[in-house]
Amino acid sequence: MKAVRISLIVLLLLGVFWFLNILVSPKYMESLVEGSMISEYYDTPKNHEVLFIGDCEVYANFSPMVLYEEEGISSYIRGSSQQLIWQSYGILKETLKYEKPKVVIFNVNAMRYSTPVSEAYNRLTIDKMKWSKEKIEMIFSSMTEEENFWSYVFPILRYHSRIFELTEEDFTYLFQRRQNTFNGFLINQNVKGVESLPTKRPLTETRFADITYEYLDKIRELCEENNIELVLIKAPSLYPYWYTEYDEQIEEYASKYGLDYYNFLENILEIGLDYSVDTYDGGLHLNLSGATKLSKYFAPILKEKYSLTDYRDNEEVNAYYQKELEKYYEEIGSGM
Amino acid sequence: MKKVLILGMICLLFLVGCGQESAKTEEKYSFSYNNMDFVLGEIFTREKFGTEVEYSEVASCAFEGLDKTFKYEHYEITTYPDGEDDRIYSIYLLDDTVSTKEGVKITDDVSKMKEVYGSEYTEQGESYLYSKNGTTLQFYTSNGVIIGIEYSIVIDN
Repeated sequence: MKAVRISLIVLLLLGVFWFLNILVSPKYMESLVEGSMISEYYDTPKNHEVLFIGDCEVYANFSPMVLYEEEGISSYIRGSSQQLIWQSYGILKETLKYEKPKVVIFNVNAMRYSTPVSEAYNRLTIDKMKWSKEKIEMIFSSMTEEENFWSYVFPILRYHSRIFELTEEDFTYLFQRRQNTFNGFLINQNVKGVESLPTKRPLTETRFADITYEYLDKIRELCEENNIELVLIKAPSLYPYWYTEYDEQIEEYASKYGLDYYNFLENILEIGLDYSVDTYDGGLHLNLSGATKLSKYFAPILKEKYSLTDYRDNEEVNAYYQKELEKYYEEIGSGM
Repeated sequence: MKKVLILGMICLLFLVGCGQESAKTEEKYSFSYNNMDFVLGEIFTREKFGTEVEYSEVASCAFEGLDKTFKYEHYEITTYPDGEDDRIYSIYLLDDTVSTKEGVKITDDVSKMKEVYGSEYTEQGESYLYSKNGTTLQFYTSNGVIIGIEYSIVIDN
């Protein structure tokens, strides 16, 4: 009888512990929604021929809804804020468990970061990922000195102080999620044009760090093994500066391995970007208007170059996109 | 049983305590111009530093708050948000009309920098980084000549 009582107490305590972990974890549903993007993918049908991976320069600058409308391309952006290259690799590996896209597009901005940037950014990418070998590897490769692995397993170790700062969001989304993106694209309709940018510092290291090349190799090899076309891009964000020395190295890498590389900073006029109206934060990210222009420019290139399927002829996929497009324009109309 | 439950819950809630860093009061790198001291980490106000000739804002990818850059004729101040305030994050010297407190300026040779600041630096490509109590002084060089000087504060993430 005593053993049963002890077992019940232990079970109850475990239940409370589990509940508290969920309760204090940031929900990323209404505030810091960037933290919800990686997990939103799990809820979508896996029919994507194009997969974008990379940092904010992908989730803010390309709209899969426009790619679909223009050319019938089915794509998904698994981007996140300050996504480091080893995180992009982990996300690619994880995605391949669900589906095998025809083209993987990697935004090379992450090549400039060879060490973890901050715990806050790590959390936005990793916290809501499903548990997998990739997630564990990603935690170990991303942690800053102050972080520890167990705080990812048991969020209460990290977020215990939130127990006194809980908001309505924490209760509303305790056991449910809401959609914040459209196939990984985060709509931002604000306008804050470029007036001036900070002075460009001289480059201290002209060559990308070995570790970034190591992971770029891993991404390339993984794509090769799976017969996926890897495409390198540099989104047209004006800041942080994309140095000529950086560009030359990517050109060289692409040429060495026969990869396509699109530096959209070189096509600003053709794309029709006007940085006085097409950015929401003074040139770091494009807003909806800028992302629409860029996606309209890129869609026919993608379609033709990589012989992509026009999914507008596929009843099932088309039904999904029509539904999403309806919500997309509703959200745009509401000015969110 | 009630006691065990309460004790268990208290333990769960207070699993990890937050450490507090002790304040560092030692000497830090700072810049001086026209008898005015620029201390890294101090609150920036236009009343004190004057009106800039150019202003720009840089947002972060997801978090609230802006890094602001105030460009003056000979230097540029970048601030980071701290609640309602903006604190000085870096001071970047723009030309050879201004020098560090210790007298090193853009166009000087690296040998002069070493003579003044010593050899305890970290080399990053063609730049030299000196650290002192949470602040850094970085010299950007090209072919042995200083082409940029920047003071920065080290911010814990």
